[in-house]
Amino acid sequence: MEDKLESSEQQHELTIDDVKRSAVEEGPQSEMIGSSLQLIIFRLGGEEYALPIDQVKEIVITPGIAKVPQTPDYIKGVANIRGTIIAIMDLEEKFGLKKKKGDQLKNHNYTLVIESDNHKVGILVKQVPLTLTVKSAEIDTSSSVMQYSSLEDECIEGIVKSEERLIILINIQRMISAENLNLLVN
Amino acid sequence: MIEKSKEKQYREMFFAEAYEAHEELDKLFTVLEKNPEDKGSIESIFRITHTVKGNAMALGLDPIGELCHTLEEMFTYIKDHDMKLDKEFFGLIFRANDKFGELIDTLKKNGEATYKGLVAKLELYLDKHFRTLESNNVNSEPPNSSTNNESSQELEPSDTEPDNESESNQPKINFSDQVQIPVRKLDGLLNLVGELIIEKDTIIARDQNRNSNMYKRLNRITSDMQYAVMDIRLVQVGLLFNKFHRIARDVAEAENKQVNLQLEGTEIEIDRNILKIISDSLVHLVRNAISHGIENPEERVGLGKPQIGTVTLNACNEKDIVLIEIKDDGKGIDPEAIRNKALERGMISEEYASTLSDKEVIQLIFESGFSNADQVTEISGRGVGMDVVKKATESIGGQVNIETVLGEGTTFTLSLPSSMAVKGALLFEQDSQEFAVPLSFTEAVISIRPKEIHKVNKGLMADYLGQTMLIVFLKDLFEMEGLDSFHDNGSLHKTFDSLKANDENINVIIVNYNGRYMGLAVDKLLQQKEIVEKPLTQPLDKVDLFSGATILGNGMVCLVLNIASVIEKLFSERRSVQLSQSMMN
Repeated sequence: MEDKLESSEQQHELTIDDVKRSAVEEGPQSEMIGSSLQLIIFRLGGEEYALPIDQVKEIVITPGIAKVPQTPDYIKGVANIRGTIIAIMDLEEKFGLKKKKGDQLKNHNYTLVIESDNHKVGILVKQVPLTLTVKSAEIDTSSSVMQYSSLEDECIEGIVKSEERLIILINIQRMISAENLNLLVN
Repeated sequence: MIEKSKEKQYREMFFAEAYEAHEELDKLFTVLEKNPEDKGSIESIFRITHTVKGNAMALGLDPIGELCHTLEEMFTYIKDHDMKLDKEFFGLIFRANDKFGELIDTLKKNGEATYKGLVAKLELYLDKHFRTLESNNVNSEPPNSSTNNESSQELEPSDTEPDNESESNQPKINFSDQVQIPVRKLDGLLNLVGELIIEKDTIIARDQNRNSNMYKRLNRITSDMQYAVMDIRLVQVGLLFNKFHRIARDVAEAENKQVNLQLEGTEIEIDRNILKIISDSLVHLVRNAISHGIENPEERVGLGKPQIGTVTLNACNEKDIVLIEIKDDGKGIDPEAIRNKALERGMISEEYASTLSDKEVIQLIFESGFSNADQVTEISGRGVGMDVVKKATESIGGQVNIETVLGEGTTFTLSLPSSMAVKGALLFEQDSQEFAVPLSFTEAVISIRPKEIHKVNKGLMADYLGQTMLIVFLKDLFEMEGLDSFHDNGSLHKTFDSLKANDENINVIIVNYNGRYMGLAVDKLLQQKEIVEKPLTQPLDKVDLFSGATILGNGMVCLVLNIASVIEKLFSERRSVQLSQSMMN
């Protein structure tokens, strides 16, 4: 079910079509279509996190980032991705998963470009993300799951339980709107 | 001259629409032929012919006007009387539509059009099958026979144009000379051109023979291309102005005012996105002008003014800037009333209020605290949302000015860039990163010794051409959490305190906004450059230190300082500092 896309030594840029294509080629998912969901999985501070594949536009090698003063620390700045200027976020920092201060940008080789109707942001990840197809039934969205998580609950969509793994499904859209609200209040 | 070009544009627009109407009619006729009972099609055909007739007549394109008039009449009968539609009828209307297409082509080239024959045939059919219905009812024989005579006379030329007719039997496809493009695609194109320019700069910078003719040509082509794309995005302000007839009418009605809306300079062109961004502000200003500027009719008569008030929307060009004026001949704004209200709201101290000139007092209506929260009417009070108008205008690098004469009226002037794309900027370096200041805000660049800077209260001051001027180290600004932290003690002194008296000279960019000056101390001055500024998107759209960003030749992003909001914040801070001081006294 899990498809390694590229060996991480080779630095390739991937459009989401490449990712989807390889997912279709290798994934035994014919019987799962309908009630299934394709996810992009990435690691943050030792845990696995996921986003629905249709929110991820592409995966690029992290470009040069210009810092933006007067913004929260987890906003690393802005970068030029194919002529569009987008904000780059470090979710490890946002979720408080950074182990030590010295752990700097150098390790964040890849940027997931997330796009929806009203925003476009980049999320820093260390390795090339993987795809995973899960059944809707495997996603637990009950509030009791969220209660003990360290994340602000508006960011979490649910928990995916796939075999032995536990993957946190996040809702970027809601996170950004919440953040906007905070900035407004400040 | 302008009138002529305007008419030419109207004609172009008409022909583009006419082609569409022509195609639509072909489609509807075909649908109707298959199902002659289709009320929806009949209704649509009637509507289309009616519109085309009206527009054609207005432009003096009588042939099209007459043809559509006859068709419209036919469909009025069909609509109202459930006429039976036979084969002959469809034959006729299809030929009529072919003729319509033909007329568009000929009239566009200002050619001589023949159409009377077909119109006569249509008239004849009308007489024979449709009009009988009414003449039977009303029994008005004489006018009927006279039309008959006329049409039979006009029928003759139809015999002289058979060649033409057989030619039009040949199926012919017409194409409109205009295309409609979603703005999204234009934005994409502008982005691509921006990228192209950046790539070009990068390549040229790397090459040793960067002055070769080949590069000169490349430069010229890319810059032509950029201007061409910007030109495509321009629309006439009339597009927006024309929507105000209805708005003005509705507001006047609700407020029991009598208002005449005048539009001037509707042919001035401006970037479509700029027009969109300021549209809400314009609605606001027009509403205010009517509900708070223009007096009641009785009051106006009493004052010896014309009973009907006038609100004028005027646009004009000034170099690269488009000025939009919203002018009313109402009562004007009373500075005393503003002064009192600002005091009442605690926006300014009494001491400060007395130092302000009338002109400065009127500027207070643009402050966010001035909004009148207890106002409940849907039509807002002057002051409500004025800060929003100002912010919207400034977000695109524009400015709002106000001029008011008590008893004579008020004029708001929005000065807007005609194109969002390119602006001159001064690049500088701070904390090893490049930033930009728009040249429209830059006054001068100076270099001063640290000992020329003095601590005054919470800020720093220096002398510039005999005037004391506020100096802010950008580094201090960057280290604050937000622009509201100005008042934190010592936050503006940090960098200065770390300097030694015999340190190198400091680079200061003197910026100016709305007549207020300040000096920004930066690490290093770089070059002047034309930049393509793009707004920051979520979640950074609320950061008021920067108005946008641009992409440099090396592919890096360069943030553009929002001078307007920095100066705004800094000076409103000064005012409230004075306020708190005066309250302590």
